[in-house]
Amino acid sequence: MKITILNGDLETKKSDFSDYIEELVKQFQVNNHIVDVFHLKKMELSYCHGCWNCWWKNPGLCSTKDDAEIIFKSYINSDFVIFASPLYVGFTSSSLKKISDRLIVLLHPYIEIRNKESHHTKRYKNYPDFGLLIKEEDDTDKEDIQILNDIYDRFAINFHCEKRYLKSVNLNTEKEIVNASCNI
Amino acid sequence: MQVVIFNGSPRRKISNTKLLINSFLLGYKKATDTKVPVYYIASFNKKEEMLNAYKNAKVVIIFFPLYTDMMPGIVKEFFEDISKFKNYERKKIGFVVQSGFPEAYQSIFVEKYLEKLAKRLKLNYVGTVIKGGVEGIKIMPAWMTKELFANFTDLGEYFAKNNEFDDKINRKLRKPYRMSKIKRILFSIFSKTGLTNFYWNGNLKRNKAYEKRYNRPYAQK
Repeated sequence: MKITILNGDLETKKSDFSDYIEELVKQFQVNNHIVDVFHLKKMELSYCHGCWNCWWKNPGLCSTKDDAEIIFKSYINSDFVIFASPLYVGFTSSSLKKISDRLIVLLHPYIEIRNKESHHTKRYKNYPDFGLLIKEEDDTDKEDIQILNDIYDRFAINFHCEKRYLKSVNLNTEKEIVNASCNI
Repeated sequence: MQVVIFNGSPRRKISNTKLLINSFLLGYKKATDTKVPVYYIASFNKKEEMLNAYKNAKVVIIFFPLYTDMMPGIVKEFFEDISKFKNYERKKIGFVVQSGFPEAYQSIFVEKYLEKLAKRLKLNYVGTVIKGGVEGIKIMPAWMTKELFANFTDLGEYFAKNNEFDDKINRKLRKPYRMSKIKRILFSIFSKTGLTNFYWNGNLKRNKAYEKRYNRPYAQK
């Protein structure tokens, strides 16, 4: 399998979370999976400007020239994606959210009715399922987890895929994440 | 400084969000002469000034567009910044979320987060206003946006008088909450004629990009 990991850790130096991701990559590789891992805060990544050039000027292409292009390619050509981030004020990091916003480049502007709601149609044939890997804050509670689950379920509807899990580095080993990602 | 508005749209001064804020302020000014400063969260060169305005305000209203089911990344960064401030617990905070999708339902999930955020930061939450179907309001004829802007003007006037949102107007703005069965059927019929893509196709053709509309530039397989 080809796996893309989007690491939204805002700490650019050594951290427990990024150490965990490093070990997770090793575990995937031991199992012969190909992994692209991106530590977003260490990359040159702008936010989505909402220009919609990707929808009506250069269809499918983001006009912001930075490191995002390599992420778009990795994401859409993966079998599985992991959105990984410590929680900051109850949600995944701003770095992860900024690149998530820019993933609209992978959708078509046309609207269709799905789940009795309006959603954008596919641009690509297939979209990878994903898992959400978090590190809880000291005050994270059940309500926060429910909010995260709900919002990433919504993301899955919009991005024509399924959220397969929400797991926490506080509770799950790297091996468990590999198994959950690959359905072993 | 009493009330401060933050515009969380990445489009800043050319945003639909700005049009809603303008209408809101029109109503606000009917009730009071107090000036309400508006800051653009995407103006990173004014970040320090913006964070100071947040600290000094007694009431904060944050307007933003729905981006991939949540607040835009720049607004999340703003939340991370203000979460570092301590001893600002008694401040009032409210939100206005607008989306291009017509249904208010698509924004109720971020609403739950915003309520929890206020609780987490020990702020006095005054609610979230939700309005769908906002994309394109800049180019719509005046008769199509008259009611929308009038509602936001009323919302602003009520806020100036009460420091909170009017529930009645908020309920009105949340319509349609979900797409009715009839609208879904009509949409499906119109989509077969291409009528539902009129807005997109017009822009694609104007930019000479219509023939490339199904391009998949990042596909490798």
